[in-house]
Amino acid sequence: MTALSVLAKDLKLHARDARFLATLALFSLSLVLILSVAFGPLFDDPAKEASATLWASLFFAGVLGLTRALDLESESGGGEALRLTGADPFSVYAGKAAANLILMAALFLLLLPCTAVFFDVGSLDQLPGVAGVAALALIGYAAWGTLFAALARGLKARELLLSILLFPTLIPLWIGAVKLTRSLWADGTIDPVSDWVKIMVLADVLGVALAAWLYETIQEAEE
Amino acid sequence: MSRRAGCGNPADLTLVARDLEKRFGHRAVLRKASLELRPGEILLLEGRNGSGKTTLARILATALREDAGAVTLDGAFVRAKLQAARRAIGFLTHRPLLYLGLTPLENLEFFGRMAGLMDARPRAERLLARFGLTEFARVPMEHFSRGMLQRVALGRALLNEPKVLILDEPYAGLDEPGVTTLNEMLREARERGAATLVVSHDRERVASLATRSCALRDGRVA
Repeated sequence: MTALSVLAKDLKLHARDARFLATLALFSLSLVLILSVAFGPLFDDPAKEASATLWASLFFAGVLGLTRALDLESESGGGEALRLTGADPFSVYAGKAAANLILMAALFLLLLPCTAVFFDVGSLDQLPGVAGVAALALIGYAAWGTLFAALARGLKARELLLSILLFPTLIPLWIGAVKLTRSLWADGTIDPVSDWVKIMVLADVLGVALAAWLYETIQEAEE
Repeated sequence: MSRRAGCGNPADLTLVARDLEKRFGHRAVLRKASLELRPGEILLLEGRNGSGKTTLARILATALREDAGAVTLDGAFVRAKLQAARRAIGFLTHRPLLYLGLTPLENLEFFGRMAGLMDARPRAERLLARFGLTEFARVPMEHFSRGMLQRVALGRALLNEPKVLILDEPYAGLDEPGVTTLNEMLREARERGAATLVVSHDRERVASLATRSCALRDGRVA
């Protein structure tokens, strides 16, 4: 119940922020377009270049999304009021992580067809596989990103800290996502790189477990 | 209105702060500040600008951690039962502590649910009606005036009829009808046994309600 209320609140705040949504969409689409022009028009390895473009764009747009989510919590103290309600901290985390996941998933749904068209890769029968890879990567992104966003909240250099923490932590997830997507688009299978699935699952589980352990402490450290 | 900060029977006390200390860098803001709040009383806390009133209010509301000393609620350390203590304390401070992208009704309903209220929406509607905000209940608050935000923030603090109310400058930005409504609600809180701390420079406005007053000087409550 608490998690659902937090999720609904965060989605409502994002949905009403049309300027932010437009910025996010334009920024990520521009990245895809620029990289497709940079790699093209004759692609050496379209599956490799397309997967790198897709996941790089999602990563940078995701940082923008997490930073905005941080601002929404801190601009008039809503986040502090939420902390002072006495609501279960992990439920609050779960709701916020779910909202970040949905935002990233929407971004993925926007960028995937554009990347496929610009680089001429992928087919409909590969879609479930790519969606599975996206689920693994984005769950990890939301899990770690929400945790680090809570850590950065209240600090003056929060955007910088968020980026510094996120980049190294998400490397295994993003390398896995690039390799698995490339393999799907190039060979139609993930068999040669299937070990990355285990690494990504591990990164996801670790992110959620760490949040369950630390979120309350991080939330109270804001004081 | 008594001027004495007073010491009572511990069983009669709702919120007790003992020897609170707080430093910001090298500056000591609170130096062994102690304060007691009894059920059904309204305590006015005064003090000059920068005397530490807001810091004390934030510590009592668990928004800020003390460097030394302790706060107890009904005899239990608030830090030991933090979530339960927070549900028992309503807090108003200089910032509205609201989501400006949401409407007043959505804000109050959300915070009511977070506080575990099953009837958060009807309560929110009733409070907004009392503060004369029914017409603005479904308007996002980005362009609300200071006074309107203060009314919604008061609604948030009073929503779950908390056992303890910590109100830091509750009259700031309120017009006369707003002041009248707030005083009515403080009177009702007193009648249902809530312990209220009002931090204010508006002595006249709260004088008819306050049962005691004290002042913060040199980091101590006198």
